[in-house]
Amino acid sequence: MELSLTRVDYLQVGVTSQKTMKLLPTSGRKAMQKVVIGDQDGVVTCFGIKKGEPVPVFKTLPGEKIARLELGGALNTLQEKIFVASGSEVRGFTKRGKQFLSFDTNLTESIKAMYISGADLFLCASYIYNHYCDCKDQHYYLSGDKINDVLCLPVEKLSCITPVLACQDRVLRVLQGSDLLYEMEVPGPPSVLALNEGNGGDSGEDVLFGTSDGKIGLIQISAVSPAEKWKIENEKKRGGILCMDSFDIVGDGVKELLIGRDDGILEIYNFENANSPVLRHEYAFSESVTSVQGGCVGKEGYDEIITSTYSGWVSGLTTEPLHRECGSGDEVKMSHEMQNKILSLRNDLEHLQVKVLEEREKYQLNSQSSTAISTVPTFSINDKFTLNRDDASYSLVLEVQTAIDTVLLQCDVPIDLKDVDKNSAVVSVVDCESEPNGNFLLATYRCQANTTRLELKILSIEGRYGTLQAYVIPRVQPKTCQVQQYQIKPLSLHQRTHCIDPDRPMNTLTLKGQFSFAEVHSWVVFCLPEVPEKTPAGESISFYFQNTFLDTQLECTYRKGEGYFKSDNISTISILKDVLSKEATKRKINLSISCDINEASVNHTLKLIHPKLEYQLMLAKKVELIDALRELQTHEGNTDFLIPEYRNIVEEAEQLLKEHEKQPASLERLYGMITDLFIDKFKFKGTNVKTKVPLLLEILGSYDQDTLLAFFDSAA
Amino acid sequence: MLVPVFTLKLNHKILPRMVALGRYDGTHPCLTAATQAGKVFIHNPHARSQRVSANRLVLSAQDSDISLLNINEAVSCLTAGVLNPTLGYDSLLVGTQTSLLAYDVHNNADLFYEGVPDGANAVVLGTLGDISSPLAIIGGNCSLQGFNHEGKDLFWTVTGDNVRSLALCDFHGDGKNELLVGSDDFDIRVFKEDEIAAEISETEAVTALTPMCTCRFGYALSNGTVGVYDKMARYWRIKSKNQAVSIYAFDLNSDGVNELITGWSNGKVDARNDRTGEVIFKDNFASSIAGIVQGDYRMDGNTQLICCSVDGEVRGYLPGNQEMKGSFADSTAEQDLIRELSQKKQNLLLELRNYEENAKQVELNTQVTEMDGQRGVIPANTQLQTTLAVNLGSDTQSAHVELCISTSNDTIIRAALIFAEGIFEGESHVVHPNLQNVSSRIKVPLTPPKDVPVDLHIKAFVGYKNSMQFHVFELTRQLPRFAMYTLSKPDSAPEPRSFVKFTISERVQRVVMWVNQSFLLTEEMETQSTSFQVRFTSLRNAGQLCIKMNSSGEISIGTDDIDLAGDIIQSMTSFLAIEDLQVEADFPVYFEELRKALIKVDESYSVCQKLTTNMADSSNFIRSMLVRAEDSRLMGDMKNMKRRYMELYNLNKDLLSEYKIRCTNHTEFLNNLKAINQAIQRAGRLRVGKPKMQVIAACRDAIKNDNINMLFRIMRVGTASS
Repeated sequence: MELSLTRVDYLQVGVTSQKTMKLLPTSGRKAMQKVVIGDQDGVVTCFGIKKGEPVPVFKTLPGEKIARLELGGALNTLQEKIFVASGSEVRGFTKRGKQFLSFDTNLTESIKAMYISGADLFLCASYIYNHYCDCKDQHYYLSGDKINDVLCLPVEKLSCITPVLACQDRVLRVLQGSDLLYEMEVPGPPSVLALNEGNGGDSGEDVLFGTSDGKIGLIQISAVSPAEKWKIENEKKRGGILCMDSFDIVGDGVKELLIGRDDGILEIYNFENANSPVLRHEYAFSESVTSVQGGCVGKEGYDEIITSTYSGWVSGLTTEPLHRECGSGDEVKMSHEMQNKILSLRNDLEHLQVKVLEEREKYQLNSQSSTAISTVPTFSINDKFTLNRDDASYSLVLEVQTAIDTVLLQCDVPIDLKDVDKNSAVVSVVDCESEPNGNFLLATYRCQANTTRLELKILSIEGRYGTLQAYVIPRVQPKTCQVQQYQIKPLSLHQRTHCIDPDRPMNTLTLKGQFSFAEVHSWVVFCLPEVPEKTPAGESISFYFQNTFLDTQLECTYRKGEGYFKSDNISTISILKDVLSKEATKRKINLSISCDINEASVNHTLKLIHPKLEYQLMLAKKVELIDALRELQTHEGNTDFLIPEYRNIVEEAEQLLKEHEKQPASLERLYGMITDLFIDKFKFKGTNVKTKVPLLLEILGSYDQDTLLAFFDSAA
Repeated sequence: MLVPVFTLKLNHKILPRMVALGRYDGTHPCLTAATQAGKVFIHNPHARSQRVSANRLVLSAQDSDISLLNINEAVSCLTAGVLNPTLGYDSLLVGTQTSLLAYDVHNNADLFYEGVPDGANAVVLGTLGDISSPLAIIGGNCSLQGFNHEGKDLFWTVTGDNVRSLALCDFHGDGKNELLVGSDDFDIRVFKEDEIAAEISETEAVTALTPMCTCRFGYALSNGTVGVYDKMARYWRIKSKNQAVSIYAFDLNSDGVNELITGWSNGKVDARNDRTGEVIFKDNFASSIAGIVQGDYRMDGNTQLICCSVDGEVRGYLPGNQEMKGSFADSTAEQDLIRELSQKKQNLLLELRNYEENAKQVELNTQVTEMDGQRGVIPANTQLQTTLAVNLGSDTQSAHVELCISTSNDTIIRAALIFAEGIFEGESHVVHPNLQNVSSRIKVPLTPPKDVPVDLHIKAFVGYKNSMQFHVFELTRQLPRFAMYTLSKPDSAPEPRSFVKFTISERVQRVVMWVNQSFLLTEEMETQSTSFQVRFTSLRNAGQLCIKMNSSGEISIGTDDIDLAGDIIQSMTSFLAIEDLQVEADFPVYFEELRKALIKVDESYSVCQKLTTNMADSSNFIRSMLVRAEDSRLMGDMKNMKRRYMELYNLNKDLLSEYKIRCTNHTEFLNNLKAINQAIQRAGRLRVGKPKMQVIAACRDAIKNDNINMLFRIMRVGTASS
């Protein structure tokens, strides 16, 4: 069934966080619902819509930034009490706006996630999970990595409390009381959890999750073990999931799945073939969709999807058909509501403009005085710097509540910028070859009008570590800029996993010395991404990583006074050795580093690289042939005369070109890594083979696996 | 929302910018485009049965609607239109790097085939000025040539650099067309027949031009800029990270005014209001746009806008009808308006809040502490000062113009961004000192490659050393046109031998004013006397520039750089509002080079002739050799066959090497031709107004008559007669 949705913007509040908007339930069916939303200024706004105009119900005073907003109430009654979490405090409001609860948790960190079920309150700060019942402390759990979201399976159905935590280390943790019941690995860092169909399905055990790399899935959390029901990969390379809801927008009796992403895409999936959902409809907002819920707000009898976006817009995608009468005259009849709305907006604008001009003058006058000071207005930047597994690149997303004017990118290590289609800004890269200030990258992005979100792609080189800085200038007077810093770690292309292949030939680096557990952990944090900053509980810890580009692995096991780093890639070990010794010298700690090199590992790594290299070479070769073959095709009129191999190339030309465009630097990167491998292999033997690199490149130029292996064996 | 009324998938690649629509039989429009392998295809879906293959035209084996035209050379430009008004139907014009072909598609016959040594980078068809017959005007290597339907060369002139784009537009609004020429040297020149009527400097190579309506035209640059000019005044321009491949004027919303339709390299097509640049319509193709034309392709009496992509996808759009006017781009226009207004409101509120918060802060404390510095609090009276000065350079750095940005107190400048067009590789330059070296002063070296006035838009991040938030100071400085010349002592180096002399009836003080405005001087120059003299040294190559003026108003400009002399004269005369100026000029070194180039052209030409005859000989020889070799094979005389094929192989090698010689000879030939064309242009630039045209015309005649001495005489004194 074709779904036609029209966007209606209702109201704008301050910048919103994830999951901070809800629709208040009504007792009767199809009656109009009210919207309640909390923003980062700390204001809770509740409003309804009358004749297309938002009518406020209540609005609280500004305060600390609101991190979550949930609805609650006694079990089996209407869930119409509003709970907001801000700082370390949870407040409760009735639907009329009367505050009935103010609960200070005394947590040292501010609350990140909240879930409410009857009298049970589940709160999560960065690593800590707390369960309160009637505001009394019940259970406590310390998670290994940051907690992004929390929920509890419906108590009505299961008659026991089963909290589920979504943790940054790609794991869902299911608790029982204060103890871990079991863990379940998911394909990406989970960023949001929701009960399937709003109630956990028939069993009450079905939990939906969305990850920050854009995947979604459904898991059945039973009392003994979890079972994955379905998952959807992020093939279109869309943004991370911020919110989800189940709602029957089509009106066919089956609830559709609503997904809001951080690149502004809202997706509607339905369950036509029972199990795995199918994408039915999508709508693109220009900024992150922070909350989504289905309901009836704008007009009675018409269902709609209400969303809130990063800059605080509450909009609806309504099923109400847009009445547009194309009159006989030239003017399209604008509906009265519309006209009034525009008129009042224009009036507001005029008033504001006058006021702003006055203030501007005052500000200017201020600058004459020698004692006055001038502050920088703060603005919030919503940023994300993540490693993509499929092309081993980092993507940097910057989002500001107002339009961005210019972004300056600066980096003190060599990195490459890749073009992103979505990004329409005019890029200008400054030549840094003879740059006297040690910059390796200086680039300006001049954004087109109304750009609030900028996406960039960055290719890093392992072993070259430093800081990437983004200076963001929004289009607001007085002009200011804010710096955001991102660490490019020494092993920047590694990603956390939970299992590794134990049969590979491994090189081991052993670290011994007078260092504490916290110290060695801080070194690991310094070297590798996706490691929690907090020193883990216990005496020792193991982390597993995978190189996203080469698929080699790394195992780190360490405790007070000793650490073992095992990898099948000799370059990884070499980088670790360099960085660790440098760090230790900096802190004047006496370290003994010893390396146990497994000769077989080099050939093993080369064999791992082989299929990638061969594929890239073939691709390059094929792409080179496309034009010539096409020319022959025009000449001869068809492709029958070609050998099947060439005919295939002509037929698959589009796909090949697309593939080739997607990874323009892959071949160079592979060459670079093979060269590093070559140098590192002999570095551990104590020979410097830099002079032989040109020879190696020559061999790579006419690549053949055996020749390369032989060269690696014979050189030195 | 406008949807395409038809979509075609042609199974041929289309080369960018090479699309035309012609009614080759007088009624049926046919889409024509250049494709790979030196071919042109003609798509004719209207008359399916009645076509035959003959001569150049071959029916495509793949698709019966398409016929292919073999050019056997890379096509560099293409157009279609009425060349011979008596024929009553359109002709096809195809230009390559060496020739121009006018082709009668209907009769499968060549109208003419002309060799053009300067190449044809762009072609336009139409009437120009008072020339009665339509002309096919091609732009090549610094030259412009117009042919009538007989192939007669009725129009010939030179321009400053490689021509990239051409358009015919009634620039003056007098009912006659002027020729707009966009070239590699960033200039758009307007030719009223063969005289230059106007020159507009842009910031990059001009890749496309299109007439919009009387006096108005659209342009596109290679850096992704498109815009609209009304005469000399630019209405608007926008810049994108993609390139505009094709621009076209079409009234898409039926409001009686043409919109500028742009086809982008990322496959986007947009229509923009000619006055404001506001987008009223956009669509996306899967691949880059190749060309945009208009025509009644469905033969139903309505003209469609037809867009083609490089992959051969064609979409036709019918203009929106009258009723749709106003709210045509999107059915939710009001919603968008509301959103836009709300956004504006939000911005103003934010600004207001900023001031309020600032006021609050001011009340709270008046002392800037270290802690405040981190949050970016700075004294309110902080000012940013900029100075421009010449830096003579050191061992490690060549001489340059130095922009020094400094704050008025202890605040530091974290980084400085300078946006300026034409002087950096991209559009901006950034200075970001490392954290140890941040100070309240930043120096930015500038080396403008051309002598044009440049606006420097500066953004400086001001705060304290550990700030994470900075104030952004924005200001604009203008770099004077001749900033790359520094004042030097009169006797520091020998005076240049070359000079330009002319007399004006202006006071010395006015000329001094011009000097003050155009050069970067540490202090304003002043003079009370009736004569004055200044010496400058170029920062680029240490060349000398000497400007003298005596009491009788005679000015002499001494420099060995003829381009610089031209720039100075153009700048000075426009400052002093002089309309016509004749000069006396002598550039012995440059003239000597030119003389050599002229001789070389002759040489290259004869070498080329000789090589051509050689080649003809060789190919005859090959033919006979091949016959003999095959004879031997048929007779079973393997020994002789082998020998002959060996000989054939050697001959082939010889031919190949000869071809390489021909190639190098040809490039040299082209370079020299360009040098000569440029020399004429430069000689013209030394004069202003009428004398300028006279010089160009006279030079042309001299070259036509092969009178080298006359040419130099004209360049020196400006006229042919003594």
